[in-house]
Amino acid sequence: MFVLSFVPSLATADEPSLVDWTQHRVEAGIIKPLGERAGSRFSRSRPPPHESRVRVTQTTLSRDMQGHDFVPFSVDVRFGAGNWQRDDIIGCVYRASGNLFVKRGDAYFPASLLLGKKVDPVSGVCQAAPARS
Amino acid sequence: MRRRGMPQILRQWAARALLASMLLGSALITAMSLPYFDFETLPPFVIEKLPLRFESLWLGALRIHVAAAALGFPLCLLLMTRASQRRANWHRWLGRLAAVLVLLALLPSGVVLAFDAKGGRIVTAGFLLSAAIVAGAMIVGVRAARRRDLILHARAMRYVVGQMSVAVVSRALIVGLDAASIDPSVAYVAALWAPVLASAVVVEWFSRRPNFGHPNRVQLVERIRRELSPLVLVVRVRAFFRPITGDGR
Repeated sequence: MFVLSFVPSLATADEPSLVDWTQHRVEAGIIKPLGERAGSRFSRSRPPPHESRVRVTQTTLSRDMQGHDFVPFSVDVRFGAGNWQRDDIIGCVYRASGNLFVKRGDAYFPASLLLGKKVDPVSGVCQAAPARS
Repeated sequence: MRRRGMPQILRQWAARALLASMLLGSALITAMSLPYFDFETLPPFVIEKLPLRFESLWLGALRIHVAAAALGFPLCLLLMTRASQRRANWHRWLGRLAAVLVLLALLPSGVVLAFDAKGGRIVTAGFLLSAAIVAGAMIVGVRAARRRDLILHARAMRYVVGQMSVAVVSRALIVGLDAASIDPSVAYVAALWAPVLASAVVVEWFSRRPNFGHPNRVQLVERIRRELSPLVLVVRVRAFFRPITGDGR
């Protein structure tokens, strides 16, 4: 055990962990732009949440059918002092490109959908390829 | 000179304040609804609905509903003013336009939207109840106007405007309940049902009051009849020009 602690890690000290990286990416790519977009509204759309938190639902990378690595995440929201509402947004972020996708119904869309862009669903993303036996 | 009592003055100012706040609310809703006509982007209200069963139908219904409400609600408010009621011809034509807008555009599109309302069946039921009140009252009101039953016409139209005011009151409640940290799913249901029921109760309560809007109901009807009569209009026009012609002797 003592010897193992001297073996250099593959990750450098400056490099954030996968969980930290995912959280930062989701906050920068989804939470922050959504917060900036939500102004004072006199509409029937849901008021912006008072608090949001990113939950990385898997601490290891998954690989999709095309061989790209991704990390799934969820965004929970809270209104006032109420309980956290889990899975308000479900999606995944790709490790290499940083691309974000969110789930709507049974399909995954580029996260820009949440910011009002008209985008089509992308098939095969955020779905892990079946494990090889 | 006729002296008006303090309660009557207060009532008039309250009515004017209500009218002004509804007009302001209607203008705010219209301003907030403009993004629905930007065909390149999706507004937040649409995004949170996705995926929709019949997206094109729903979006079309939303745009028709918003456009009809943007025109119809201020028009109905205008028709409630004495200034409009004094101009019988204008009142009649604007009333016809409002009735067509409400019955052929606002209500059918609203019914389509109601079936995909967020909040589930209870919210769908709330929207459908409001639509039924508006449709029923509008039909009763139009038929009453054609029979010159002005009391029933006024009462029915108060129901229509009362239900249309739900759009403003409901949004104000959503903002207020959010500030009070009420869960949006609960706030949405409360902010719909409370004004739908309250406006119907308030209209009925006011309509049953013997002295509502005027000290004497018979006097009011007579006054409106006089104002609607074309003969009286001719007499008024003649009375207006007489002093001028008189001076020209």
